[in-house]
Amino acid sequence: MKKRNVTKALSLTTRHLFLAVLSFIWLIPIFWLVANSFSVYPGINIRAFIPEAWTLENYRLLLFNSADTVARFPMWFKNTLVIAVFSCAISSVFVLMVSYAMSRMRFRGRKLLMNIGVLLGLFPGFLSMIAVYFILKSLGLTNNHWGLVMVYSGSSGLGYLIAKGFFDTISETLSESARIEGATESQVFLKIIIPLSRPIIVYTVIASFLAPWMDFVFARIILNSGMAADWTVSIGLYNMLERELINTYFARFCAGGVLISIPISVLFVIMQKFYVEGITGGSVKG
Amino acid sequence: MTDSPARARGNNVFLALLDFFRQFGADFARGDIFVKLSLLVMGAGCFRRGQIIKGLLITLFQAVIIIFTISFALPYLADFSTLGTVTRAMVYNPDTMKNEVNDYDHSFKILLYSVVSLIVLFCALVVWLRNLRSARALEVTARQGKRVPSFIEEVKSYRNERFHITLLSLPCLGVVVFTVVPLIIMIAVAFTNYDQQHMPPGALFTWVGLANFKALFSNSITLSFGYAFFKVLRWTLIWAFAATFTCYIGGILLSIFINNAKTKCKQLWRTLFVISIAVPQFVTLLVVRNFFRNQGIVNTYMSQWGITAFLQKIGLVSESLTFIPFLTNPAWAMVMIILINIWIGVPYLMLIATGILMNIPKELYESARIDGASPFKTFIHVTMPYMLFVTAPYLVTSVVSNINNFNVIFLLTQDVYITTDQKLANANAKEIDLLVTWLYRLTQEYYNYKMASVIGIMVFVVCAVFTLLAFNIVLKRNKEDKFQL
Amino acid sequence: MKKRIPALLLALTLCFTLFGCASPSGSDAPSGSSPGTSPGGSSPSDSTPAEVKDVHLRVWGAEEDQVMLKSMLDAFADANKAQINFTYDLGVQGEGGTKDTVLVDIEAAADVYAFAHDQIGELYKAGALQEVLDNVADIKSRNVSSSVEAATVDGKLMAYPMTADNGYFMFYNSSYFTEDDVKSFDGMLAKAEAAGKKISMELTSGWYNYAFFKAGGLNASLNDDGVTNDCDWNGPGGTDVLQAMLDLAKHPAFVSLGSDEFKAGVIDGSVIAGVSGTWNAGAVAEAWGESYAASKLPTVAIAGEQKQLGSFSGYKLIGVNAFCQETGWAMRLADYLTNYDNSLRRFNERQQGPSNTLAAASDAVKSDPAQLAIATQMQFATPQIIGGNYWSPAQTLGEIIVQGNPSGTPLQTLLDNAVAGITAPVG
Repeated sequence: MKKRNVTKALSLTTRHLFLAVLSFIWLIPIFWLVANSFSVYPGINIRAFIPEAWTLENYRLLLFNSADTVARFPMWFKNTLVIAVFSCAISSVFVLMVSYAMSRMRFRGRKLLMNIGVLLGLFPGFLSMIAVYFILKSLGLTNNHWGLVMVYSGSSGLGYLIAKGFFDTISETLSESARIEGATESQVFLKIIIPLSRPIIVYTVIASFLAPWMDFVFARIILNSGMAADWTVSIGLYNMLERELINTYFARFCAGGVLISIPISVLFVIMQKFYVEGITGGSVKG
Repeated sequence: MTDSPARARGNNVFLALLDFFRQFGADFARGDIFVKLSLLVMGAGCFRRGQIIKGLLITLFQAVIIIFTISFALPYLADFSTLGTVTRAMVYNPDTMKNEVNDYDHSFKILLYSVVSLIVLFCALVVWLRNLRSARALEVTARQGKRVPSFIEEVKSYRNERFHITLLSLPCLGVVVFTVVPLIIMIAVAFTNYDQQHMPPGALFTWVGLANFKALFSNSITLSFGYAFFKVLRWTLIWAFAATFTCYIGGILLSIFINNAKTKCKQLWRTLFVISIAVPQFVTLLVVRNFFRNQGIVNTYMSQWGITAFLQKIGLVSESLTFIPFLTNPAWAMVMIILINIWIGVPYLMLIATGILMNIPKELYESARIDGASPFKTFIHVTMPYMLFVTAPYLVTSVVSNINNFNVIFLLTQDVYITTDQKLANANAKEIDLLVTWLYRLTQEYYNYKMASVIGIMVFVVCAVFTLLAFNIVLKRNKEDKFQL
Repeated sequence: MKKRIPALLLALTLCFTLFGCASPSGSDAPSGSSPGTSPGGSSPSDSTPAEVKDVHLRVWGAEEDQVMLKSMLDAFADANKAQINFTYDLGVQGEGGTKDTVLVDIEAAADVYAFAHDQIGELYKAGALQEVLDNVADIKSRNVSSSVEAATVDGKLMAYPMTADNGYFMFYNSSYFTEDDVKSFDGMLAKAEAAGKKISMELTSGWYNYAFFKAGGLNASLNDDGVTNDCDWNGPGGTDVLQAMLDLAKHPAFVSLGSDEFKAGVIDGSVIAGVSGTWNAGAVAEAWGESYAASKLPTVAIAGEQKQLGSFSGYKLIGVNAFCQETGWAMRLADYLTNYDNSLRRFNERQQGPSNTLAAASDAVKSDPAQLAIATQMQFATPQIIGGNYWSPAQTLGEIIVQGNPSGTPLQTLLDNAVAGITAPVG
């Protein structure tokens, strides 16, 4: 009996030790990011993992030094926030509209539209980058945050699958009875389905809100004036690691990375629950 | 996810089209003079039946299209076959201190506006044809003595039985402008000589037929796109499968391990792993790239601890190096990229797997336990089949998205990795390039839009073939025999 | 029937948007993409000089030059305030990558931009440069002839020479090396090995590894067509050069570092000498203090013989965008930014070696170690005029060398492959 307890305790310890080692590996780069953001050494410190001395200087320079022509973090944050809010509003509405139509309504050409959607998804997005640029240019929207909003939200209707999977699981009886009572289709959508769809709305809103914070490819092409104040967070941070700048700005890059990670992690944790539901929900039940 | 693209019914579309034209002919023959007239003045049918506002709107639309065609579409479409002939030229006028520029052609604008014009004209054509049929339908309604719907009623129908049109029109417009039009243009570019030697506005480009596709299958030292293409394609496929399945298996194992009854503080462990994905990917990847630099922090410790010397002794690192070439040697870089991707991907999969594992019907485990199956056997015979069944569509889409996984490869290797293969270098490719990163650098660094477009089309072909196969084999089987133990 | 309205909406919206925003066929005035372009100055000629017209220009310069450029632009506005009301947008664009940004969309690029002269061919071909048509004789006479040559394409002066020091030489820490040591790579490596320190030169770049082939008497240059290259590295003696490079790369005291890594190595003390250029001079001088020194490149042993390393010499130029709306004023601004006063200022504030002959002759410039080193190296240097196909193969060759030719490919084959790529036809 006693021996058994010892083996049990041993196996428990190994189990948790293993998890500890694993999560340590997973967190090393994050530690390094945070440590560097507090380092007195502005470039990449390759002598020691833990900085020799700690400072808040990198954060101060990033947030309050408006004379710097490279690091305009507050401006970037504002730009990205504006872009994210608008593109999130448009994309969420688009996604919900498309997924409702595809999930709850039956009309001619529905299958065809869905198949076209799948087909379009198979082309690499970068292919059309340069054409998108010239379309925006002919609309006078390059070098313009509205242009970026349109790029992020314009095609968002294609990303309807997860929300459609959710709508598919809502029972038909509620909307049927509403229709019998004389509700129009738009009333069913707005008054019955939408209030029931909180999880998927939260998921859609957060997912589309996060996109502009991550993208640096389209943003770099469209915001090409060379004016640091016009950039978004991701191009600004990416630019700090250019060859000529990395030795002066690496620590500030890390500070910026930490700063945007905070709000994003919060949103991510909220979204996490719905993320899983979104991916698995439809297929588990359907 | 229940509608598989494999069921795209091309035949039906064709039949529907045929059917439409047959009925169109019949409607035209049987319709009265106003129905026939609606081909000339589109509002005619509506005016006759008292739908004045609708008639006016449709006629206005017709007028707009006519003006558009004459003043915009025709001038561009006239140049469409050549993509322009007049090169830009300018003369400086010292008096005005400005340049005087000739009326030059811009090949890309001609291409872009021609495609837009063709799409608009095609839509107008569809409206025009349908207009006759609806005029006829209206006539029939009126003849039968039924009431013709008023304008208000028609508008109201867009909130009810035609609500899908209200819902879909704006999103569809967005998709057409930002996805379909750009795609058509770039596919067209694959048949032109649009590259650095032919770049508007300074120069013109023109149609060259299939020359670029021939170049993709060429294989000499100076024109090595064929060689590079197959090398890059091979690595793209290896990567897509390795990345998908390592993360998949890793995520499931980790989640089972954490969810095991013996593990304490489950939520804490989960959170620790999730932290690494809550930081934006481009930040973590750039950090990791500098973490593993040749003259980076990891290499400092590796050589301090003697690991570099040890690896040199067993032949994994070349004798002439003083560091481990994590991201600069082809073999090392490929392994590292997949490992780093595991680092990024496993937490996601852990989240998904946790969600699914909780949903596994308890009876399944119960019966396995009664049969006396070991934990390993339970995993192989109960957990994995169930997981595979539920996540099959996710796996398929995830392979496709890994074929197009730009971020990981680009952020880890851009400016760091240099190829040692001259044939790849001559095609501006690298051993660790995916088709999409190669495509990106061809456009952004070498302005080789024509070859980039060809490669883009190839990416589509690869993804489409894979998806069709996967959905036909995996999903069909799943659907037919449902999930059973 | 059901599909009619979306189609109608689509078509209507499409044509309205297009009507509003695009005029058919290339109109002579490229749509001004800079939001601030002021339409105010449309009066045809300066018949009424009293009238002050608005001129707005967009300028791109390197990140480190921003503060200096801003004050130069303000001074320009001040000097011309009688004629124009000058406003500007100053953007960041490193000179090394200017063409990459400009060529994506020339019409959206800055009106006046700085670039490294090796990009002039590609910018010219793409029609991105305005020929210099104002004050030409003065510009040609006030700059050193080699930089004027570098700014000239097809006999036309296409840009304003700004600096003449865009080359490389040897920085060394004089507490480790004597002036004699730095004459040969072998001497330096022996000292560095004894001290347990490193000497750096970036071999994975066609810009630097050209030095060795030049030392071996071999050649790589631009053909008359202005696009393709001529290269004889695979000729007699080529394998000796390659062997010398392989030996160097293998030496325990040698390391191939990029510019930023070199700087980091200097600062942390692990690197005590290295090949780099004036852009790192300030940082290196600060790190080494009193023992900061620079010299021409050393000799290298090729097939047992000491040969002087050659180099590429480079220039930085200022160009005017061919799609600029205010061509005349843009030319005057570029002219102003490269005049004597501003050249001297560029040296004083940013240690950039002037192309302006008078400024170059000033005592301050002549006594600067880095400028002296680059001037000495100049006699072994070739102006870097080479086609775009040179870089990738030369870089790959360098990477093979640094990795110690792991596949054991015969040296002659390596060279044949590289030369095939360098001399490949374009288009």
